Amino acid sequence: MSQAMKADSPGGAAPARDSGFKGFQIDLLRRSFPAIFLAVLVVVFTFMSPRFLSLGNLSTVLEQGTVLLVTSLGASFIIMAGSIDISVGAIVAVAALVAALTANTLGALAIIPAVLVGAMCGCINGLLLAVGKVPSFVATLGTQVVYRGFVLYFTKGAPVEISNDGFLDAYSSVSYGVPHTVMIGLALAVAAWAIFKFTVFGREVLAIGGGERVSILTGIAVTRVKILMFLLLGALCGMAGLLQGARTMAATSQLGLGLELDVIASVVVGGTPLTGGLGSITNTFLGVLIVTLLSNGMNMSGVDPYLQNIIKGVVLIVAVFINIDRKKIGIIK
Amino acid sequence: MALVADGLRKQFGRTIAASDISVTLRTGAVHAIVGENGAGKSTTLRMLGGAIRPDSGAMTLDGAPYAPQSTFDAAHKGVALVHQEITINRSLSVAENIFIGDLRRHAGPLGVLRRKRMAASAQEALDRIGVKISVTANLDRLNLGELKCIEIARAISSNPNTLLLDESTAYLDHREVDAVLHVMQELKSKGMAIGFVSHHLNEVLAAADDLTILKDGQFVGSYRAADIGANEIHRLMVGRDVLHGIYPPRSPPKVSGAAPTLRVTMAAVGRELNEISLEVRRGEIVGLAGLKGAGAEALFAGIVGDEPLRRGELQLDGKDYRPSNPRAAWRHGVAHLPGDRGNEGLIVSFSVLDNLVMARPPAVGPFFSRRRARAMANDLIKLIGIRTASASAPCQSLSGGNMQKVVLGKCLAVGPGLLLLNNPTRGVDVGAREEIYRIIRQKASDGLAILLSSEDMPELIGMSDRLVVLRRGVSVREFDSLENVEEHDIVQHMI
Repeated sequence: MSQAMKADSPGGAAPARDSGFKGFQIDLLRRSFPAIFLAVLVVVFTFMSPRFLSLGNLSTVLEQGTVLLVTSLGASFIIMAGSIDISVGAIVAVAALVAALTANTLGALAIIPAVLVGAMCGCINGLLLAVGKVPSFVATLGTQVVYRGFVLYFTKGAPVEISNDGFLDAYSSVSYGVPHTVMIGLALAVAAWAIFKFTVFGREVLAIGGGERVSILTGIAVTRVKILMFLLLGALCGMAGLLQGARTMAATSQLGLGLELDVIASVVVGGTPLTGGLGSITNTFLGVLIVTLLSNGMNMSGVDPYLQNIIKGVVLIVAVFINIDRKKIGIIK
Repeated sequence: MALVADGLRKQFGRTIAASDISVTLRTGAVHAIVGENGAGKSTTLRMLGGAIRPDSGAMTLDGAPYAPQSTFDAAHKGVALVHQEITINRSLSVAENIFIGDLRRHAGPLGVLRRKRMAASAQEALDRIGVKISVTANLDRLNLGELKCIEIARAISSNPNTLLLDESTAYLDHREVDAVLHVMQELKSKGMAIGFVSHHLNEVLAAADDLTILKDGQFVGSYRAADIGANEIHRLMVGRDVLHGIYPPRSPPKVSGAAPTLRVTMAAVGRELNEISLEVRRGEIVGLAGLKGAGAEALFAGIVGDEPLRRGELQLDGKDYRPSNPRAAWRHGVAHLPGDRGNEGLIVSFSVLDNLVMARPPAVGPFFSRRRARAMANDLIKLIGIRTASASAPCQSLSGGNMQKVVLGKCLAVGPGLLLLNNPTRGVDVGAREEIYRIIRQKASDGLAILLSSEDMPELIGMSDRLVVLRRGVSVREFDSLENVEEHDIVQHMI
């Protein structure tokens, strides 16, 4: 069949691929699915809990979602390039520890070592993949254990408290009614969106996901782009670790445990397939809202906490099931 | 009297892939289905073999109605189809590949495979079609023709009386096609009916007893091979006399004292290329002839930096040139059109614009300039004559010929000094071919140096100013002019 569909018609334009209007509508529906799904969630939870749509709760949702948002922004680049990073939670823990250790002397400037160490962890992941040719899943599976091991080694399992006022003022207080974490998270989201949409780097990331062999043969600096995107994710994880530390006022070895799964879920629910070559930061933003609202909404409407994980998992699978155009991806692994 | 089809028709979306097709496959005869790319050959064969169901029309098998629901159903009724793609799984053994559809038959209690017995019957199947392949052979060492023969052995294992063979792609080279044709003769002598589609027209005509000509999805006619000449077939396939005048005239050679754009000295690359020296000058198209694996692909990989040189050296405009990766090659103005369009040439899910500007995206600092990219893409679309709804249409909505023009556009977008073309018209119809040839020749007369590797002999003869023949990794012959050179003169050095 494919032979006939690709058939050349000399002198004529190619035949339309889809069956016209209906195909177009389905495609549009699928692309706007994350937004529709988000709206449905809001409506359902508003009915279940009157306080859900209050300004106070909205602020809580954004604050709860910031760490997930910041890390998912970086992970979007990785996933759009067809790679994966499961060391996200561990890097967050490392960065939170670095922030906690330096906050007392550096105050708000603890952001510098935290982000640098995060970027370094990301850079190691990138080098392992791009230079060492270790598949990113395996590479980050290994570094994840090492990174968290470092935190455990230095803390000996005890939490490191953060009490520096300058640090806490900068990263966990509220100005004009908006928590600083939310401001930082949204600013980073805009920056990531601009990087993806307007830079050559963003296009190269997508090209690597669309066809790595084509990208190499076309002269894209695939090695450099891969290292850069992991470095970017690392730096964002560093930032997320700092914010998480400021929120809990302590760094522990358990910080960010399992975060990477929420990150991958957010990106995928937003409509970016794990195979790469497709997606956007806007999609990820919607995905993060969906994942965060789901947890928050269930808490607000008093769903049995022991039941929540089951519901969450099922809802995420259903969302991806409807969302992803399986025909376009071809081989599902 | 074996398989008779009457008035078959198949439509995909708005494209009529085949209409009013009537074919009779006789017992003990080879029936070739010929036509240009997109004429409906594969569609016809797949309808006969149950892979797709016709929209209308009827088929009978030995007089009884025949309407296969699937290839499996067809095989059950005695009609076996060998697909155009090679479907051998390299992580399995030869025997497992042959019996892949029916492994249970060779399993003992508890589902354990009886390997010895299976290998014996696999060897029997291979011997029956008359190929010299051992079941213990390592699949990685077999060539595509041999893999195709294993697929035929697989198809034959269900004891069909009709075999349908689709080789409408250019996967096999001349030598490999000969092996497949040999198998067909063997099966024909055993009384099978054989339907055959091939990219290699001349070989097929030599082997066919009957032939059916298709054009643009329409049935043109069925003929006894003995009653019709090659020229007549060409005329009926294309509707005009082609292959004269499809190649643009050569520009007169310019004598220049400057260093050649590319000089290759005693180069060896990878396993395949052992020694080649050649020069490509500005404004010149140098052809590379050779069987698959003779070294042309390896030479290209060396020049674009995809593989390091084992020995020898490269010079670009008189200066030493040793690219460490394809990126370095592009930066030196070496553009490359790969042989595998879908996996190496372009990203089909991306837009025409995205692919066209991929090699050198217009940018201001780190920022991509969408405005300049659009202008660049529109210029290229006009220059090359890419037929697309718009620059932002995805490449997968284009025909094969137009996709290839996009790859060519991507190469020309960087303003290269040297252009490497690997089978630039593979799977491209005659109309688009002509345009591609015209652009290539135009660019050459503008001063571009071009190295052209192709499996299509007429193309090499028609386009090259000079030609180098490769055999087993060594250049064995050079033609300084291709006036009055016949296909045979070149092929005899290749084998």
